[in-house]
Amino acid sequence: MSGPTVYCPVYSPLFGALGCAAAIALSCFGAAYGTAKSGVGIATMGVLRPDLVLKNALPVVMAGIIGIYGLVVAVLLSSGLSRDMTLFASFIQLAAGLGQGLSGLAAGYAIGVVGDAGVRGSAQQPRLYVGMILILIFAEVLGLYGLIVGLILNTRANGASCT
Amino acid sequence: MALYGSIYAGYGFGTLVTVVIAYGILDLIVNNRWFNIAYLIETPSPYFWASMGIGLCIGLSVIGAAWGILLTGVSIVGAAVKTPRIRTKNLISIIFCEVVAIYGLIVAIVFSSKLSNAIPVSGWSREALYAGYAMFWAGFTVGMANLACGICVGVVGSSCALADAADPQLFVKVLVIEIFGSIIGLFGLIVGLLMTGRVTPFK
Repeated sequence: MSGPTVYCPVYSPLFGALGCAAAIALSCFGAAYGTAKSGVGIATMGVLRPDLVLKNALPVVMAGIIGIYGLVVAVLLSSGLSRDMTLFASFIQLAAGLGQGLSGLAAGYAIGVVGDAGVRGSAQQPRLYVGMILILIFAEVLGLYGLIVGLILNTRANGASCT
Repeated sequence: MALYGSIYAGYGFGTLVTVVIAYGILDLIVNNRWFNIAYLIETPSPYFWASMGIGLCIGLSVIGAAWGILLTGVSIVGAAVKTPRIRTKNLISIIFCEVVAIYGLIVAIVFSSKLSNAIPVSGWSREALYAGYAMFWAGFTVGMANLACGICVGVVGSSCALADAADPQLFVKVLVIEIFGSIIGLFGLIVGLLMTGRVTPFK
C-alpha cells in the first residue's frame, strides 16, 4: 500500500468521518425534535381524549423514521471509510452526510410542529385526521430527498482508489 | 424581541473579529504570511468546494421546504377545526413548498454527475478549479433561493388557508400571490444551472 500523496493525504478520512457523523447526529436532532414536540401535543390532547392517544402517535413514528434515514446513510458512509482515501471520496462523503443531516433536521422540525398542531386539531375535529396525515407525509418525504442525495453521492464515491 | 436579538449579534460580531485577527497574527508568526486570501482559496482541493456546494444545495433547499410546510400545515390544521372543507384544497400550498425541495434535489443530482475521480499529474488545472468554485457558489445560490422561496410560500400559504376558511372566494386570489412567490425558487435554479453550464467534469 503506497504512502500518503498530495491527493490521498493523511487527513483525508477526517472529512469522510465528519460526513458520517453529521448524517446521524443532525438527523437525530430532527427526529428528537419531532418526537418531543408532537409528544407534548399528544399528551395534552390525551387528557380529554385518552382513546385517541395511540391513533395519534403517528407523528412520533414518522419522526423516528427520519432517524432511520440518517442511520442508513451513516452506515453506508462508514463502510466507505478507510485509512487511504482520496480527497475525492472523503469530500463526497462530507457532502452526502451534510445534505442528509440538514434534510433530516428540517424534516423532523416540520413533522414535530405540524404533528403538534395536527393532533390537537384532530382531537376536536375528527375529519382533520386524514389532512394531518397528508401534510405529515409531505414533510416525511423531505427526509427521503436527503436520503436519495446521500445514496447517489455515496455510489459516486465508491471505487476511488489511491493508486 | 428584535432589540434583545441585536444585543447577542454584538457578541457574535466581536468574537468573529477577534478570531479572524488572532488567526492572521498566528499565520504571520508561523508562516510569515499576512492574510494571504489566495492561499486559503487555492489550497483546498476543488472537490471540497464542489462537495460543499452540493451539500449546501440540498440542505438549504430542504430547510426552506420544511419551514414552508411547517408554517402552512399549522394554519391548515388550525383553521380546519372549525371549517374542515379547506383541508383538501389547501394541500396545493404544501405542494408548492415541496416543489422547492425538488428543485434542490434536481440541482444536487445534476452537480453530482459532474464529479469524477481525477488525480492530475501536476497540480489542478484551471478548468478543475473553475469547476470547484462554480459548483460551490451555484449550490449556495440554489440553496439560499430555495430557502427564501420556501419561507415565502409558507407564510403566504398560511394566510391562504386562513383566508379560505373565512371566505371561500379568496382562495384563488391569494393563490396567485403564492405563485409569484414560488418563482423565486425558479430564479435560483436558473442562475445555478447557468453558472455551471460551462463546467467540464473533472479529469
